Amino acid sequence: MTQHRAALRLRLASSSSRHSSSTRPVTLFLPSSSSSSSPSSPLHLSAKRIIDYVLLGITGKDFVLMAASKAAMRGPTILKAEDDKTRQLNKHNLMIYSGEAGDTVQFAEYINANISLYSMRNDSELRPEAVANFVRSELARSLRSRNAYSVNLLLGGVDPISEKPHLYWMDYLASLAPVPYAAHGYAQYYCLSTLDKHHHPDITLEQGLKLLTMCTDELKRRLPIDYKGVLVKVVTKDGVKVLDFDNDRIVKSA
Amino acid sequence: MTSLVNQQPHSEAIGYSFSQSTHAPNKQHSFYPYTDNGGSTLGITGADFAILAGDTRSVAGYNINSRYAPKVFKIGGDDETGEGAHILLSVVGFAADGHALKERLDAVVKMYKYQHGKPMSVRACAQRLSTILYQKRFFPYYVHAILAGLDEEGTGALYSYDPVGSYEREQCRAAGSAASLIMPFLDNQVNFKNQYIPGSGEGHALEPKKAGPLPRSTVEQLVRDAFTSAVERHIEVGDGLQMMVITANGIEEIYTPLKQD
Amino acid sequence: MDKLIAQYTRSSHQNEFYSEQEQHDLTESHPPLSLKFSLPPIDDSRAFLRAMTDDHSNPSCPIKLAHGTTTLAFRFQGGIIVATDSRATAGNWIASQTVKKVIPVSRLSRGEDKPTDAPTPGLLGTMAGGAADCQYWLRYLSQQCTLHEIRHKRRITVAAASKILANLTYGYKGYGLSMGTMLAGMTPQEGPALYYIDSDGTRLPGNLFCVGSGQTFAYGVLDANYRYDLSEEEALELGRRSILAAMHRDAYSGGFINLYHVKEEGWVHHGFNDMNPIFWKTKLEKGEFSNVTSEL
Repeated sequence: MTQHRAALRLRLASSSSRHSSSTRPVTLFLPSSSSSSSPSSPLHLSAKRIIDYVLLGITGKDFVLMAASKAAMRGPTILKAEDDKTRQLNKHNLMIYSGEAGDTVQFAEYINANISLYSMRNDSELRPEAVANFVRSELARSLRSRNAYSVNLLLGGVDPISEKPHLYWMDYLASLAPVPYAAHGYAQYYCLSTLDKHHHPDITLEQGLKLLTMCTDELKRRLPIDYKGVLVKVVTKDGVKVLDFDNDRIVKSA
Repeated sequence: MTSLVNQQPHSEAIGYSFSQSTHAPNKQHSFYPYTDNGGSTLGITGADFAILAGDTRSVAGYNINSRYAPKVFKIGGDDETGEGAHILLSVVGFAADGHALKERLDAVVKMYKYQHGKPMSVRACAQRLSTILYQKRFFPYYVHAILAGLDEEGTGALYSYDPVGSYEREQCRAAGSAASLIMPFLDNQVNFKNQYIPGSGEGHALEPKKAGPLPRSTVEQLVRDAFTSAVERHIEVGDGLQMMVITANGIEEIYTPLKQD
Repeated sequence: MDKLIAQYTRSSHQNEFYSEQEQHDLTESHPPLSLKFSLPPIDDSRAFLRAMTDDHSNPSCPIKLAHGTTTLAFRFQGGIIVATDSRATAGNWIASQTVKKVIPVSRLSRGEDKPTDAPTPGLLGTMAGGAADCQYWLRYLSQQCTLHEIRHKRRITVAAASKILANLTYGYKGYGLSMGTMLAGMTPQEGPALYYIDSDGTRLPGNLFCVGSGQTFAYGVLDANYRYDLSEEEALELGRRSILAAMHRDAYSGGFINLYHVKEEGWVHHGFNDMNPIFWKTKLEKGEFSNVTSEL
């Protein structure tokens, strides 16, 4: 009991201690070599190394455009230049993923199998919203287990009834957000502002591809690593289709 | 025991020479020459005056060491009475550094007067304070300073500093441990941030309320309110409120007690 | 023996308190912007500064080094556009929303601080990194540029000015200075010239730079819409829009958009405007920022 109280008092004391902002020098950020200050992730997750690939998603009038980089990296090596980081979950839903090696494919296959099972059992497919929430709950459940999946995801789908496109952004801590356009990895830093400016909810597929090209052009211009181009797929009311995408464009810097 | 025996004697015959380096390896214990003495300061300017205020509590850790340790100083005046001063300085953070800084600025302002035969302008003093702080860029003064006075036109001037000397002229500024409590209040009440003219429009068309210089009585009341509120919610603020008001007629000092707990 | 006595004898009060030189330095009312800095009385002053101010390696440091800024500058046919945000942060605390991150360099041609519509001759410098470092060293640079003007009866080139600053930062490399600055100016010898200088000692001439935590977001908009033959109107709008993009996505950037245009005759200030009305105008009139909902 006394020990208990001592601990409590200690906590009270430390919680009210120092948070003086008075004597910090005012600074304006200068990018250091590691510009993305890695948030100290909770628990065991800090041990895992999430590899940043490029993931992009853009919704339009009646489609969701999804792009994932084709490089599979490990350390300083590109193991494969034609990697497919996408999974079609059912007719109208596509998931693209990146993260800890091994976890990504394992998680994707697990989700893939369960969504398929649902379709088979009920003879009807889950709508994008349902898929997203199912994936979220699975990731959240795994997060609270001994070894969680470290996977960042984008989920794109078209509701077969309303024919409206849906895009969901989800990170490895299972935060879910419906968004009109999304990015993971380095693409976040370079492409979101471009999308902020040029995206409109009612763009056509052609305009969407143009927008995607703007994004990949910027990555080619500014990203110091070669992500080996992107694999582009589109989800429409007719299902998922691979699109031809010119990854060999030469982009000149200003 | 063996280590004692095996120890080699130093090559020099005389072993007690202190000015020569001993041969012990340079052992460095953590060098931590700072402490935070807490407290808060606050400055607001008006059309023909500037107010600089601070609480008078001095703490170290959870101990209250003094209930009257002023943080606001007159610069360039008589040593004893402060008479003839035309600039105010407040320092909060590490009191010893703050005191050293005040003494130094005071000496500089006085030297300026002796050398040039005229008082130092607030603008010049502000720039000089910045360089004084920056001279210790690699061993900083652990203080957040605010400088106040009247500019060439006679309007209130307020300059705020970070520990290594970046500075900016502002309408109002709170510093110290309760800065995060007081500054938002000041943004709203002095600069009228997030205040709109009622009925001037809908949603984004609402017209923001324009900020202008406030009368002295209003500002004095704002300072009191800011401190009485900060005392309620911050353990390092309390005991007394020291307010210095600088006008064309000189500097007036007002002391009001705050809660003592 | 005499030697020994001499070694332990010194006149009383010698070396006590400040030396004459030190006393002089303390009271000198207008010192040169000198390169003399006091150092902590320990062997490794760099480690000390790091322990006190670098929250990256020491999260509980007393003097928190924080981040947050977006500055950009680019050359186009009509000169150079310089644009910045105005936020200064210390940790999560927004220390100021009204920082002037564009600093005119060179005093003689700067004129006075009173605002005019006429172009002011001289260079412009931008601030990113430590606010005090930038303010102090750009002022030092200003002094050097002014001296150059007096000695040589002509304005300093941007190349030379940037070299002074780069040599300076290189000299202090490893001491913990933190600055990322751009120098923009137009001289008869060089035409429009833009240089990037940082505290590592890097010095690069170029067409287009963004510096600060919001740099990538600014690049995203700027790169996609940049052409050298932009009109003056377009260029100003692009600078403004790029800063807005960074303010929207980077939490360490915000406040006011500070816009400058460097022309042949000198630089012109194009306003210090609150970002909030500009954001809503951009969203509601142009339909951009479709990720933000304007009604529930």
